[in-house]
Amino acid sequence: MNTVKVVGVVLGLALGASLAAAAETPDFTGIWDIYREPGAARGPFRPAPENLPLKPDAQKKVDAYRALIAPSGDTPGGWCLGTGMPGSMLGSGGYPMEIVQHKDLLVVIYEAHTEVRHIYLANRAKESDLFPDRNGYSFGRWDGDKLIVETTHLKEAVDQARYPHSEQAKVVEEYRLSTTDDGRKVLTAEMTLTDPAFYTEPIKAVKKWEQKPGIRLLPYECNEPAWEDHLDRLREQQKAGASKNGG
Amino acid sequence: MRKSIIVGIAAVLAAAPLAALAHHSAARFDLTIRDHYVTGIVKEFKAANPHTKIVLEITDEKGTRDVEFEGHSLNNYYRSGWREGMVKAGDKITLQAAPTKDGSDGGYALGVIAADGTRF
Repeated sequence: MNTVKVVGVVLGLALGASLAAAAETPDFTGIWDIYREPGAARGPFRPAPENLPLKPDAQKKVDAYRALIAPSGDTPGGWCLGTGMPGSMLGSGGYPMEIVQHKDLLVVIYEAHTEVRHIYLANRAKESDLFPDRNGYSFGRWDGDKLIVETTHLKEAVDQARYPHSEQAKVVEEYRLSTTDDGRKVLTAEMTLTDPAFYTEPIKAVKKWEQKPGIRLLPYECNEPAWEDHLDRLREQQKAGASKNGG
Repeated sequence: MRKSIIVGIAAVLAAAPLAALAHHSAARFDLTIRDHYVTGIVKEFKAANPHTKIVLEITDEKGTRDVEFEGHSLNNYYRSGWREGMVKAGDKITLQAAPTKDGSDGGYALGVIAADGTRF
């Protein structure tokens, strides 16, 4: 009987503690679209910033890339490649994103190219298990009502439209929820990019989203037309082969 | 002889994936021009990501010919009201199309007016 009482008290305390923690932690779960001021229409994309504080060698790399793609206007997205950080977070083609929040993990899905970021809040991966990729490795922590996320292990990306960077780049995002006067739930991210190989000073940017409970994230099958065209070509080759063989 | 056949096959295999890859760019269009409209008969309308492919048979002072346009993504058209089957081959539609910068045929379909007047 005593054991049952003790277990009950312990469970009660644990439940109370977790409820208190849950009450303090904001919930980012949901679909988020680009924030617009009341009455503002969808506008053209903002042009890439000029006069970035790039170091001379980095400037050369970026200029060479931009000269390379200038005649065609090619972009990673046009070739069905995801944007990568920080572009995936700051722009992502103007498409919405979904956040699924767990206790130790937030999963962020950007609709464009179905880019996925995992923001780990516990059990940081060993350095030996990490390697650079376009969205890097993100580890976060709650600071009161703010979520602070640090992203490292990014691949060098001169093809970032706004903020090209090297493998030494580190992106820190600070996320905070607020509510507008007209009752919209807004998520704001303040970003700081530091990259001693590419930039002479930190780069700062702000991105805002508003929650859109009525919409869902759509699939983004970018390579499907290329696959269908490929199958059509195979069928033509098969048909040509059959007629050549008298089939 | 056998070596040249193998080399030929290898070249085709190497080239095929490149030919099949999607590559889209809006750089050749003048997206600042938003009051240019083109009407034609739909030969192909393939809503896709990242860009939609639209082929119209157009008749104007240059004659009758098929002209290919790029358009917004399937997802953007869907969110602005497009639904599967809304635009079919043979339909007469109008595109709000940003023209090419060099004045050649084609354009970027900023908006579509379907045969029944639906706009997306």
